[in-house]
Amino acid sequence: MPQTTIYVSPRSLGAPDTRPPAVETDDLARLFAGVPALAGVSLRIDGGRTVALLGPNGAGKTTLLRLVATAIKPSYGRARVDGLDVVRDVEAVRERVAYLSHATGLYDDLTARENLRFAATMLGTPDAHERVERALADVGLGERANDRVGGFSAGMRKRLALGRILLGAPSLVLLDEPYAALDAEGMGVVDALLAAWHGAGVAVVVAAHATDRLEPFLDGRVMLERGLVMAVEGEGVAASPPAPPASQPAPAAKPAPAAQPAHAEVRR
Amino acid sequence: MSAVRRDARIAVAIARKDALAELRGRQAIVSTLFFSAVVLLLFGFSLGPDAARLAAAAPGLLWLAIVFSGVLAVGRLHLLETDDDALDQLARYPVSRRAIYAGKALAGFGVMLVIGLLVLAAVGILFAVDVLAAAPALLVTIVLGAIGVAAVGTFYAGVTVRLRAREVMLPLLMLPVLAPLLLGAVKATVAALAGDPFGELGAWLQLIVAFDLVMLVAGAATYGYLLED
Repeated sequence: MPQTTIYVSPRSLGAPDTRPPAVETDDLARLFAGVPALAGVSLRIDGGRTVALLGPNGAGKTTLLRLVATAIKPSYGRARVDGLDVVRDVEAVRERVAYLSHATGLYDDLTARENLRFAATMLGTPDAHERVERALADVGLGERANDRVGGFSAGMRKRLALGRILLGAPSLVLLDEPYAALDAEGMGVVDALLAAWHGAGVAVVVAAHATDRLEPFLDGRVMLERGLVMAVEGEGVAASPPAPPASQPAPAAKPAPAAQPAHAEVRR
Repeated sequence: MSAVRRDARIAVAIARKDALAELRGRQAIVSTLFFSAVVLLLFGFSLGPDAARLAAAAPGLLWLAIVFSGVLAVGRLHLLETDDDALDQLARYPVSRRAIYAGKALAGFGVMLVIGLLVLAAVGILFAVDVLAAAPALLVTIVLGAIGVAAVGTFYAGVTVRLRAREVMLPLLMLPVLAPLLLGAVKATVAALAGDPFGELGAWLQLIVAFDLVMLVAGAATYGYLLED
């Protein structure tokens, strides 16, 4: 497989200590039908860092990613990307964030190439033709470029969705269980991309159940459970105990207090 | 690139994407045309074999068939966005919400124009109406009507696309709003087929233009809220 080319926004090139945090949340919470999926998370992830969000099912990993990706809005609290508020500055945040969710958001009736060309237009990608071909090659789908996505396996769809991320120049990449449904070749694609983003100074936040495969790329880890930060570890990531809501309404059913303080180390 | 040019480029890309998917799936046009044919035939049977009666009813039947078909067609175009949560991805692109509305409405207009012209031809054949004699005026009416149906349909399809009961809710919401368009289009078609003896065609077309403009502006201004959480 050819070496992956990562296009980097000038925002990602400054010295890490001169940039605002890639992600900063302040008592961030999201309720679904009155039940908190995220119950007040105060977290800082520095630019250029690769951080794993860990925790069991229902811990709030996906909800946190979706809030930062502007796919959903907070019930209360704030989140900022590169210092920009995810609610007030939503379009500017969307220019900076790439998000791989469980759903790939691809069109079944379009070919792999057409899906990426459409994405390139939507992202305003310069040299779109060349970048699309390169992205297809980078994710190992060059030979299937003219096949309709409706016939793709889950793993191929995920690789194509990863290729879509390569069409932008994000300063923050959010990946929700990127290895799920992938074969060995697909996992290799994810590894190559993580290494490339890490080398290019792009911040990456990965929701995962285990870090075995991620370990070589990780700067830090955040452990979530029942919508709260239980522990953080590593460089470029910090959390503080959730602040009590001031003027905002409290969640309907806040989970029980964490068993560990927010600054405790993850034990592996 | 200016914001308007970028929005136009985005809108054309969305419309092209929908057109490609429709050309390959042919679900909107084929099912809609079949539905239109059934509507026309059933109304024809209910009115009986009287040729004069059928010809008199033809403008109303034409537009009922177009409007009913429009409900199906624009709903189908939004269903494309439910493929693997594509609507969520579409909403997260850093593009103006107006451009997304314009793209979906443009695709809807294209489908409605094809449907309108084919239904017009079917009405001419089934009800023995000389549509060719009034072709220019009818064409203008169909184009303006297609814009109106697409403008309203795109907005309400956006309202209902995430609902479980979207197939029920879309016509319930859309059809009452289309009533002024239906009135104007039927009256314009009657005038066009009669050779416009009272000079009222222009006034009815103006009503449709006003309806289209109001609906396009309202849709573009509010559609973005439908895409957000």
